[in-house]
Amino acid sequence: MRTWGPTTMLEIRGLRVRFGSFDALSGVSLDVRHGEIVVLLGANGAGKSTLFRAISGLHPAVGGAIRLEGEDITSWTAHRLVAAGIAHAPEGKHLFPEASVTKNLRLGAYVQRKAPDVVRQTMDEVFELFPALRDKEHDAAGTLSGGQQQMLAIGRALMARPRLLLLDEPSLGLAPLVVEEVFESILRINQGGTSVLLAEQNAHAALKVAHRGYVMEEGRVVLEGDQDDLMGNEEVRRAYIGV
Amino acid sequence: MTLFAQQFVNGIALGSVYALVALGLTLVYGVLKVPNFAHGALYMAGAYVVYVMLTAVGGSYALAIAVAVVVIAVMGAAMEFVVFRRLEGKSSVHAMIAALGVLFFLEGTADVIWGPDFRPVPTPLDGVVTAFGINITEQRILVIVAAIVAMAGLYFLLKRTLVGMSIEAMAQDREGALLVGIDTRRVALITFAISGALAAIAGALIAPLVLVFPTMGAVIILKAFVIVILGGMGSVPGAILGGYLLALAETMAGTYVAFAFSELIAFALLVLVLVFRPTGLFQKGV
Repeated sequence: MRTWGPTTMLEIRGLRVRFGSFDALSGVSLDVRHGEIVVLLGANGAGKSTLFRAISGLHPAVGGAIRLEGEDITSWTAHRLVAAGIAHAPEGKHLFPEASVTKNLRLGAYVQRKAPDVVRQTMDEVFELFPALRDKEHDAAGTLSGGQQQMLAIGRALMARPRLLLLDEPSLGLAPLVVEEVFESILRINQGGTSVLLAEQNAHAALKVAHRGYVMEEGRVVLEGDQDDLMGNEEVRRAYIGV
Repeated sequence: MTLFAQQFVNGIALGSVYALVALGLTLVYGVLKVPNFAHGALYMAGAYVVYVMLTAVGGSYALAIAVAVVVIAVMGAAMEFVVFRRLEGKSSVHAMIAALGVLFFLEGTADVIWGPDFRPVPTPLDGVVTAFGINITEQRILVIVAAIVAMAGLYFLLKRTLVGMSIEAMAQDREGALLVGIDTRRVALITFAISGALAAIAGALIAPLVLVFPTMGAVIILKAFVIVILGGMGSVPGAILGGYLLALAETMAGTYVAFAFSELIAFALLVLVLVFRPTGLFQKGV
């Protein structure tokens, strides 16, 4: 069932994370293969954001392993992970609110700073993906609408030219039309060759674009399967799709 | 009118020193959220480096300033590395108490080395320039000009360099900075070094105008806090404007009200600002 070796972009095995005496993650294992969109479903507090924070080096793991294309990255620092090809558009976005859209994007390309041509080209690609951002390029990020901020958060992550993109609740708080736009762009990003790990509460929209998915509850993976398995699963439908 | 003009120039000279000290303080607060009381000790140490250079080592005043900048920048970075890095993730009360501890430690160290005496520093520029009926010493002209040069340098560094961009990014969102691949520990170290360099310039410029003593940083750091609160915590333009404003207010109050009143101004302003406009008079922004 599990694929090992060069086709695996990200492998997580038995990952444990604690907040004080509370086990936020108690032995999570999952894979993201090259070119996949993998969705992580689960209620608030299930540990999705914590998992993302552990992958991108914002919170240390106390056990288990994270491997990026076979290399053990469990204890790497956040900035080193970005350089290695993992970009994270976090919950809460964490944009630079007083900086312009362009400056946010340029900062997103911090790890590409030695290649100005690449930065310029990537910025063009981001503006093509999110034309709304081009219209606002001189505006401060803090003045954008929620949808535009989400696009900027994704765009900023793309500026690092990641191999693996972590998207934490990109549809949170957005109007349905904007959600659709964001998911379309996620598909296009993926078609460009970037693997995507996506945390979502909007299971219906997420499962439509994802190849495979995992369901998390109380810090562990309780269910995994491909798109059809999860779409057809009675519990998933009841808990996350609301049918 | 002449008296006013004279005091205005004196106020600008004092304000230059206030602004430089407040800049370093606001930078560290803006980027790292550390209320660095020990910043006053860096100012004091900068003045002592100039004292040692001019009385014991020899060489020009320019060399003394340069040595002070380098030594105190390293001291600032060391402070981050030895103390504040260990307090990452703890509440700012920890950082504040640690900063007070470092202030007293460095004051004590100066006391052990040089004793508690007030020491005069030789005045390298002792000429007086007279224009429009105003007398201004060359040293004060140097203070005003050098401070402007230092501020222009800081502006260039923050707005036009990659290091400056990463400092700004970290001030606006530390986690965002981590997520775009900025080594925030390195930025913290650099920020403390820049802050130390600014304190050193201030201490080196004021040294020939005043007497040097171990607790000279304690008074100015309180005023710098008033300025930073006045200008908005973390605001660079606020620190500069606030520095000049406080110095002018003090100088004018000392001239037209009563000399003793000048030392009261800062703290009266502090209370007024905290009560009526706790976010400061100016908008935040590095």
